[in-house]
Amino acid sequence: MATKSKANTAAPNTFEQLLDYGKNNGYKLDWLQQRETFGDELDAPSNGGGLLLQDVDSGPFAEVPEWTNNVTGRPRGALTRPSAARIGKYGIRTKADVWLKNGAQLYEEAVQRQWSSATDIPWNELEELPDEIEQAECQLATFLTEVEFVAGDVPGRWISETSPDYYEPRMFLISQIMDEARHADVFRKRALANGGGLLQQNSSAALAGASIDSARDFTEMSARLHISGEGLVLSIFRMGERMAYNNAEKAIYRLAASDESRHVAFGVMHLQYVSQTDPERTEEIHSYLDEIELGLVAGTGGQNPAVRGTPSNAAIMTLLGGGTDEASLREGEQIAGAVRQRQVKEYIQRIKVAGFGDRFTNGRAAAGLTEYISA
Amino acid sequence: MAQAKKAKAAKPADKVDYEGNPLPDLPDLSWMGNTFQWGTKALPERYGGGLTLAALNIGIYGDIPEHIPHRNRLPRGAVPVISAGNIGGYYIQDKYEQWADSSPYLYEEGISRRWSTATDIPWETGRGLSDDVEVAIAQVATELSNWGSVESEVVSAWLQNLSPGYHEVKYYLSTAVYDSARIEEGYRKRALLNGAGMMLESPGRMNRACLESYGSWSNTVLFMWILRGSLMQAIVRYLSVYGPTEADRELAFRILPDIMRKSAYACDHIRFAISKKPELITTFNAGLTVAEFAQLSDFNDPVLWEALAIIFGDGVENMDEGMKIVLELQQHFLETYISKCSQANLGREAQIKSGAWAGILMGVPMTGHATPDEMRAQVAAIMQKNSGKK
Repeated sequence: MATKSKANTAAPNTFEQLLDYGKNNGYKLDWLQQRETFGDELDAPSNGGGLLLQDVDSGPFAEVPEWTNNVTGRPRGALTRPSAARIGKYGIRTKADVWLKNGAQLYEEAVQRQWSSATDIPWNELEELPDEIEQAECQLATFLTEVEFVAGDVPGRWISETSPDYYEPRMFLISQIMDEARHADVFRKRALANGGGLLQQNSSAALAGASIDSARDFTEMSARLHISGEGLVLSIFRMGERMAYNNAEKAIYRLAASDESRHVAFGVMHLQYVSQTDPERTEEIHSYLDEIELGLVAGTGGQNPAVRGTPSNAAIMTLLGGGTDEASLREGEQIAGAVRQRQVKEYIQRIKVAGFGDRFTNGRAAAGLTEYISA
Repeated sequence: MAQAKKAKAAKPADKVDYEGNPLPDLPDLSWMGNTFQWGTKALPERYGGGLTLAALNIGIYGDIPEHIPHRNRLPRGAVPVISAGNIGGYYIQDKYEQWADSSPYLYEEGISRRWSTATDIPWETGRGLSDDVEVAIAQVATELSNWGSVESEVVSAWLQNLSPGYHEVKYYLSTAVYDSARIEEGYRKRALLNGAGMMLESPGRMNRACLESYGSWSNTVLFMWILRGSLMQAIVRYLSVYGPTEADRELAFRILPDIMRKSAYACDHIRFAISKKPELITTFNAGLTVAEFAQLSDFNDPVLWEALAIIFGDGVENMDEGMKIVLELQQHFLETYISKCSQANLGREAQIKSGAWAGILMGVPMTGHATPDEMRAQVAAIMQKNSGKK
């Protein structure tokens, strides 16, 4: 945001006189000083969008260091105290490890789009469903409740690992924690609001997100969580209109998809930043993508409910086909196949945007991806 | 033709499962009926409150066990499968270590009170202060932003360790992290509004105590939301009244309920923990004694108090008047802290009134301007004066 300089209302000697006055009266006031930006007023927001995080930093406060030695937890740009303890256990002290160009924008977007699972879902429009459909809804809701814990708890760990000099991505990850709590909550509500109940847990540790948990590097984690895991779930949420049997379910999928798309955007934009600023990591990132694509093609890790062989997948097929008779399941299977195609196409597009699209033309990408697209 | 296309479309998906095992032609539906309780129908509130988290706690879904044996993400009430195993973390598996009956209500309350520092604060009113007051509010804003940042670091790091079996707590804490982030960014915006910028970082000893409270989540809660939280509440409450501009007062006024929810959770949780393990009173008191030293240390740094005195006195020239309000604020902090401890079934009144804090309650502010001996002399003078009155 543009700033305008205001002439200091007090001449420097007046300010100094005030300091002297204070000191003469027993106060220390060493901290009372005008920094280089003093008097640069931010434009009052007049367009209704408000005072946004991306607009407030200027001068030294806007300088995001490529590497930071801020281990006292001070806000970016704040003046240092020699006596401050090194309290930050910040493994992430390099900008490229966590940065993206629009972290502040995504955070503000998240703040504006908060919603309530209690009042923004028309729960009174739930309708009694055939038992097999209700069971499928509840199995899928059980699955989603479980996996949403992954997407909340794992970013939480990385926030405390990240220097506050990179506060914008931290703020976004905090908004993600909030979003994911609401998702876990809304799917639990769905399971328990219409005469059903929770069904069975996912059947492997990997299904519960262990591969995301185990990532030792932020970019690796983000690729697995934001681009792969959440990208896959986003594709399913976007099929919500097909899976939903009433307006309450449609609202759940629509609102959750809106949140999820921000999370995916974070992952894509971070990966893009890495590709543009840290080319030495290119091969390393490709190796993460190799693993991710194994999951996409064969379902390794089982995080994808659109992959055959899991209860959540059977639930999706039941919902999409409209029942558990053979004809319905086969129809559901066909639509689920289309969901997988869509997942793969969206994944490829995201990786291209992130700057790693060469893998789809140089033979590096998993062969099965093209099989899906051409099927 | 259509059939051929259909077979082709299904080809990649229908061979093997995610572990490479052959799959039947049609999906396995044996999971159907695998539930501990069917027929559950949680109902929305009758008068517009919607479907709340607390309303879900019916039947077995409302059975909140004392211990969660699973170290994975099993939703409470779902049917566990052995192969899920442990996935690391989630070692806070006992109810007494995290629970508060108010959690589901605080979660819904946190969401229903959502607001934005971008659009809900009349920033245009935050202009026109004298230079010294502008720098002072930027200093206080830097300190509060710093505290908010530390809070969000601390709580978000704990989430991976708190069992999902007590999801009400985890959900509430997610809103709490978000609230802390809003303190961080709201006060950053304030500091930068007129270019004063981020000023001197926090002395940080209490930040350090919060970050180093990894012995137990309960200790973190005590340090951060009962001890430090009482101070933050006092400062923000005073800023909601004495803030130098409407924007400052509104920002503080908006943040206050967010702090109060954390306080409510903290008191409720500590009380619950003590109800289950009375011996924790000793542990908690020992922890608070250590944390209070850290807080005392920060109190002896003059920066925050001088900045507040300039704000409350409306300028350096009236700092003495401002310091009188700072003393009120410090007394309000201690009264709030004692009250919260009592509410949590931790008696701290005797320790506070007989220890290093006692001078504040007697009318001697602790601002880093007087040496301990000078403060003792001031206290002695007050005591003598009071005894003379009698």
